[in-house]
Amino acid sequence: MDAPDTDSRHEVAGDRTPLLRIRGLGVRFQDFEAIRPLDLDVLNGEFLTVLGPSGSGKTTLLRTIAGFQQPTAGRIEFDGRDIADVPINRRPFNTVFQDYALFPHLTVRENVAFGLRVRGIARATRDARVEDALGIVELEDLGDRYPAQLSGGQQQRTALARAMICEPRLILLDEPLAALDATLRRQMQKFLKVVQRRSGITFVFVTHDQSEAITVSDRICVMRSGSIEQIGTPRDLYYRPRSRFVAAFFGASNILEPCRIESTGEDTTMVSTPFGTIRVDGPPPRVREGLALAVRPEALVPAAGDACNRIECEVVSVSFVGSETITELEHSRTRHVLTMKTRSDPSTRQPVVGSRLEVGFDAAACALVKGARE
Amino acid sequence: MTRNRFIDLPLAAVAMLVYVSLYLPILLIFLLSFFSMRRGKVNWDTFSLSWYAKLLENDALGGALWNSLLVGSLAVTAAAAFATSAAILVRSRPDSHSARLLEYVIFLPFLLPPIITGLSLLIYFREAGVGRGILTITVGHTLFVSAIIYRIVLTRLNALSRNLVEAALDLGATRIQTFRFIILPNLRMPLLTGGLLAFALSFDETMITLFLSGTDATLPVRLYAMMRVGFTPTINALVTLILGFSILLTVAVALAWRRNADSARMTSGEGRT
Amino acid sequence: MTDKRMTGHVPGTIVLWAICILFILVPLASFLAYGFLPVIDNAIVYEPTLDNFVNIFSNSSYRTTFLRTMLLAFEVSVFNFVLGYATAYFIWRRPPAWRNALVIALAIPLLMSYIIKIYAMRGVLGTNGLLNSALLAFGVVDEPVSALLFNLTAVRITLSVVLLPFMVLPICVALERIAPQVLQAAADLGASEIQTFRWVILPLSLPGAIVGAMFTFVLASGDFLAPELVGGIEGFTFGRLVFSQFGLAFNWPLGAALSVLLMVVALAVISVARRLSNPRWQS
Repeated sequence: MDAPDTDSRHEVAGDRTPLLRIRGLGVRFQDFEAIRPLDLDVLNGEFLTVLGPSGSGKTTLLRTIAGFQQPTAGRIEFDGRDIADVPINRRPFNTVFQDYALFPHLTVRENVAFGLRVRGIARATRDARVEDALGIVELEDLGDRYPAQLSGGQQQRTALARAMICEPRLILLDEPLAALDATLRRQMQKFLKVVQRRSGITFVFVTHDQSEAITVSDRICVMRSGSIEQIGTPRDLYYRPRSRFVAAFFGASNILEPCRIESTGEDTTMVSTPFGTIRVDGPPPRVREGLALAVRPEALVPAAGDACNRIECEVVSVSFVGSETITELEHSRTRHVLTMKTRSDPSTRQPVVGSRLEVGFDAAACALVKGARE
Repeated sequence: MTRNRFIDLPLAAVAMLVYVSLYLPILLIFLLSFFSMRRGKVNWDTFSLSWYAKLLENDALGGALWNSLLVGSLAVTAAAAFATSAAILVRSRPDSHSARLLEYVIFLPFLLPPIITGLSLLIYFREAGVGRGILTITVGHTLFVSAIIYRIVLTRLNALSRNLVEAALDLGATRIQTFRFIILPNLRMPLLTGGLLAFALSFDETMITLFLSGTDATLPVRLYAMMRVGFTPTINALVTLILGFSILLTVAVALAWRRNADSARMTSGEGRT
Repeated sequence: MTDKRMTGHVPGTIVLWAICILFILVPLASFLAYGFLPVIDNAIVYEPTLDNFVNIFSNSSYRTTFLRTMLLAFEVSVFNFVLGYATAYFIWRRPPAWRNALVIALAIPLLMSYIIKIYAMRGVLGTNGLLNSALLAFGVVDEPVSALLFNLTAVRITLSVVLLPFMVLPICVALERIAPQVLQAAADLGASEIQTFRWVILPLSLPGAIVGAMFTFVLASGDFLAPELVGGIEGFTFGRLVFSQFGLAFNWPLGAALSVLLMVVALAVISVARRLSNPRWQS
């Protein structure tokens, strides 16, 4: 299935000025480098997701932006102004914490009102704005409850309303959906997206879940061991991963390596792989060494006589998983393994285990990426 | 958050005052057990261990110390049995009214002023025709320290997963086996800590004991009596020794806790929310 | 939820309640009943009357002693609340290693004999005491102050010192329970340090402080050892009055009746504290 169409939005985002400009930012804990000096622009009004496995430095990056963590190198500019010396409580953005960090002794309404209260906003204005915020997160009826009396999703929405009430330019969200169950998670993903688009507030969202990142983001910044691996729209990362790591992270389980470039044309490259010579569309790669070829499982189609890349295989296993059927294949000559994901269809027969099968894929459906060992 | 010097400075001053006032009496007793004092100044030339030596000859204090240890051990044992059963009962149905009432009643002898607990038992034992002695003191102390053991045991039970008990029963253990092999091992540390704390409370209890002791006085009661007729520095020596011993014991327990913390974390399961 | 399998069966419940009734409730009831018995010719007569209570309420010296003692307990509670909160807050703001050491240092004086500590306060507060020599040494006073011992002030100071750990420790526990993220959230939402304290830290730690204040008040109001040992004649408190009925005066029923008053106040303080220290927001 295709990711939501986000390319156009990306281009709009491209015209915007960066709201947050991060340059050479590094964080070091004694002899552990949590963030290696990195650059990152957060564009005005975008939904940017920082995605990475645990230990990749994504939460540290967020906490550094919020001000809970002092950077050991580099600078963060907000609206062109260095905010290194701005204390947490003066930074013009708010955080939604992973475990929500609601004030246990305050009701939902009082929690949401907190930011206005500390700014000394008059009671009448305050109440009206709190009601508005509660309306946005659909918690009007639970305003008098205490956090301990709320479900996870309700706590999450309270935390969001609390962060939004002061109309910050930027909201930082630290894995806010991690504690919710799968169904609620999907609901909240949609909800966050809608709220973000309506409010126009810039969101920087941290998660380790790639499908969540694809669903909600305008742009995704993939992090690995304290560095940024790749930044781009969900489509970019999905179809044009630049490294084996990103490709694998987004579920491309077929990595063909080692690869050697045979010839490059204007818009095509011929690559020799253990599966034979493969044609890859797209601009020629900048480097020629240490490459791998990523092919998405759903790009493979069986018995494709007209596809430009064809591989002779033997069927190892077939598993039916509802809307899709996953077939494990073994290359006849080299015994390398491929995974193919096809739409299940009651009218066609499933491949038989042990039979030979020719599979093919389009030259535009694969990407040359940096290999495992750089 | 930024640490604000203007807030820390007055706080530090108050904290200093508190710590000094807490340790001043202790320091005084400690010094007086070795030195003599004149006009509020320690005479450093007078160092002697004679008060410690005299301690060995003082039979009255020795007997009182023995009584204190006896009462303490008996009361802690009885209170541990009583408080643990009560905690298990309350844990098994935390929302019932009778459980909450039971908890309240157990806390009464601890929460009420000691003078009331002592007085009520004095009158009760007199009307029941029970003579004052080690037995009556032990009953008083048992009631007084039960609350503390109950509290500590209940906290641990609440942290234990219910599934643990259910799993044991599911595997065919009887209720007694479940208690012996599942609940009790998990209560080892809380019972040790609670027991020691209870013993310390019992060892130091004065006001309830004053009402309940006949001729068999515990140490604090004996000290109280001695203070009224004339204080001998032997007491300083004894108290210094006891304090030193208590501190050693506390450190030992603290270390045991730290070692036990990991294994406790492993079994607490869903209790940590 | 009833879960009988976790052992709670009927015989156990009966035994537990029997112990409670036999050794806690019946003694308390008999002590209440005693307050209604008259003493005639140094012997207790088992014919209930209201004489003792009439006597207490009509006797102005009993009344003033009672009020003085309650005021004393209140003063000690308020004073220790201020000192105790500041100390606990100071401890909480230290790095964790310091924090543990300071809390242990707070608990150690509890291991020291209560009665000895009170006695030692004589050596601290007396004319030749440590406090006076310190005041002289620092030039605060020119000659020893004698007003520090054998009066009500001495009782206040002594009770305050011996009861301080009961105030500081519960507050420390309550502060320790505050999740660091909650404080970060407050700062993140724009709260200054003072606003965070006023609206987050203080309300979250108040239940602990209330428990501490309850302990302090109840223990101070019934104590008779400190007043007797450092209070002199002026420091005559209600606890001493009650205790004397079981010594020299030998009027147990009057003593029982007097302490009913103490118990009523104590129970009232305990139930108010129970309510306040378990606010609605604690699920």
